[in-house]
Amino acid sequence: MKKLLAMMFVLLLALAACGGDGDNEEAASGDSEKVKLSIWHNFAGDDLRARSVRDMIAQFQEDNPEIEVDEQAIPVDGYRQRISTVAAADELPDIFLTYAGSFTDEFHKSDLIQPITPLFDDNPEWKDSFLKGALDPYNYDGELYSAPVAMSATSFMYYNKQLFEENNVEVPKTWDEFISVIDTFNSKGITPLAMGNKAPWVAQSTTFGAIADRVTGTEWFMNAVNEDGASFTDPVFIDALNHFKELVEHDAYPEGANSMDNTQAEQYFAQGKAAMMINGSWTISSLSASVSEDVLKNIGITTVPAIEDGKGAGNTITGGPGGGYLLSSKTEGAAKDAALDLIYTLSNEEAQNTIAESNSMVMYDLELDQETVNPLFYEAFNLVKSAEFAPVYDLHLTSAGGEAVNNGLQEIMLGGDVEKVAQDIEKAQAANK
Amino acid sequence: MQSSSKLRGLLVITLLPALLLYSFFVIIPIFWSSYYGFFEWSGLGDATFIGFQNYLEVVQSPIFWRSFKNNLIIVGASVLGQVPIALGLALLLRKSNMFQRFVRSAVFLPMVISTVVVGLIWGYIFDPELGVINAVLRSVGLESWTRAWLADPEVNMYAVAVPIIWNYIGPYLIIFIAAIQNIPGEIEEAALLDGATGWRKLVYIILPNMWGTIKVVIILCISGSLKAFDQVFVMTGGGPAQSTEILATYMYNNTFLVYRYGFGSAISTMIIILSLILILISQVLMRRKD
Repeated sequence: MKKLLAMMFVLLLALAACGGDGDNEEAASGDSEKVKLSIWHNFAGDDLRARSVRDMIAQFQEDNPEIEVDEQAIPVDGYRQRISTVAAADELPDIFLTYAGSFTDEFHKSDLIQPITPLFDDNPEWKDSFLKGALDPYNYDGELYSAPVAMSATSFMYYNKQLFEENNVEVPKTWDEFISVIDTFNSKGITPLAMGNKAPWVAQSTTFGAIADRVTGTEWFMNAVNEDGASFTDPVFIDALNHFKELVEHDAYPEGANSMDNTQAEQYFAQGKAAMMINGSWTISSLSASVSEDVLKNIGITTVPAIEDGKGAGNTITGGPGGGYLLSSKTEGAAKDAALDLIYTLSNEEAQNTIAESNSMVMYDLELDQETVNPLFYEAFNLVKSAEFAPVYDLHLTSAGGEAVNNGLQEIMLGGDVEKVAQDIEKAQAANK
Repeated sequence: MQSSSKLRGLLVITLLPALLLYSFFVIIPIFWSSYYGFFEWSGLGDATFIGFQNYLEVVQSPIFWRSFKNNLIIVGASVLGQVPIALGLALLLRKSNMFQRFVRSAVFLPMVISTVVVGLIWGYIFDPELGVINAVLRSVGLESWTRAWLADPEVNMYAVAVPIIWNYIGPYLIIFIAAIQNIPGEIEEAALLDGATGWRKLVYIILPNMWGTIKVVIILCISGSLKAFDQVFVMTGGGPAQSTEILATYMYNNTFLVYRYGFGSAISTMIIILSLILILISQVLMRRKD
């Protein structure tokens, strides 16, 4: 029996020894001179922008041999989860890419990040070149926590020029024209609008946000988000949902739009099977990477039609400043200096220009060279400079509220009851604020 | 006495590593997760203790019970689909010539494909525009039968059950073939002498001798279907409008999309409880045969 006890003791010791060390990296790095810097981002793909960002980081590493950059490129789909998981375990990397809005708010609320205001103080010219409102989402109590390296513009209306010409239809400017164009295309056997709403954020982010802003106006939405004198059961929001329902009832979307993914929908549109598609700026990069020059030339781009009796402006585009890099609150000393350096390298004018030249929107005042960028992108960038931004729904709602909108829109597409959907959204948003 | 206690000691020591690992990675996390169920926690920041609220919300959530119902559809499809098909195939394929070996490998093949790939393949098969199913229906003039298989809430739960059945017939087939081959030759010979052939032999000799195996397979089927996740997640993600939500996707979506870790943990705990109850019921129902 004694032997047995002794053996168990040994086993336990062995196990304890296994679990002990592991997290002592910071303490152990004393003897090496190199500054260690970890950076996580979601530029893992093979598209132009992802490659140029990775090149910038590689260049930084080459220029600064005394810094050891540990880079992790995580595919977009899993990025939020990965970051949330390491944040929960308090193991955030020094620098990481964030999305503007509630995602960043959470980090700030939990004191996981620190301001990078000194960078802006040292480079006033750079600070002033950001477009209007670009830094607002990263401004907490006067301190700036990030510089956006992207713009999210989620609701452009793409249209097939040839199909419009062949069927003698004008590009719709108002809601009534929009509905009649939809009916016309349906009567000719052409799908009016392509949409791939399998991942259910698509209908919300690309289409509904723009429609709802036109109906309710931005102020109402911000009040409803904060549960401040407005609620998602208000008649004005029901009216917005009904506008979306009107599209569904006029058979604007192809059968099975809810089981098609966004890329499939883009291809469906590019192949000329649908006359229009409301989609984000990301469509420009994915289309220019996948279809021929001739097909691209045939695509026109404009804003979602105005709703005349609505309370909002008619020519807004949902979107605003996109992601930027955050600095972990635990990064101090030499590592912090190096981190600030790297953040600047990835967000300065040169970087913004490189990103724009890879056909990605930025929130930075640039004069684009029409020769180097793709014509569709050029058109879209100028459209954005002249239009006003409207809020993207799920960037402002809580995750539960956003999920309720996503599911609710799918329900409406399946013939669900508008009032019940509104109640579900209100309940989810109010409960998890 | 002396030697038996020695033996017991040896048993304890040899079992200990496995038991410790199992406790660390399975048993303790289960309790841990049910404990997290008492908190409101977004994954970031502080967790607040809210008592049984999460559990109450789970039990009162209509979506949770819809998910459970959808899980039962998969359980039903597996038990009534996989088991008879695997059994039938096992009876047909018990010999071992070239053709039968080929069919056996063909049936087993889906098992070695990653479940994510299975989900993707069937996603294309069900596609309303490009999918094989609708193309076949159209070409034989059954245009009116074509549907958006994964998007139409009237049929999509049955549609997602099909790949799950297809995916897991293989292992059950192998188990059944082994069981049939294990039936002692003497019994079969004796049955032959008594004139038992065909159906008679199947009902009175083969099936009774396999009953234990069939029971095990049914239990495996039930627990496997309650764990179903990957194919459904890839094909529909639980949508549209949560119509194909099953327990595991409901848990996943609430934990990792809505960031309600406490609520997700409460769902996990409820899944464990419901699974145990179902297994218990099936055990009781099948006990009489012993």
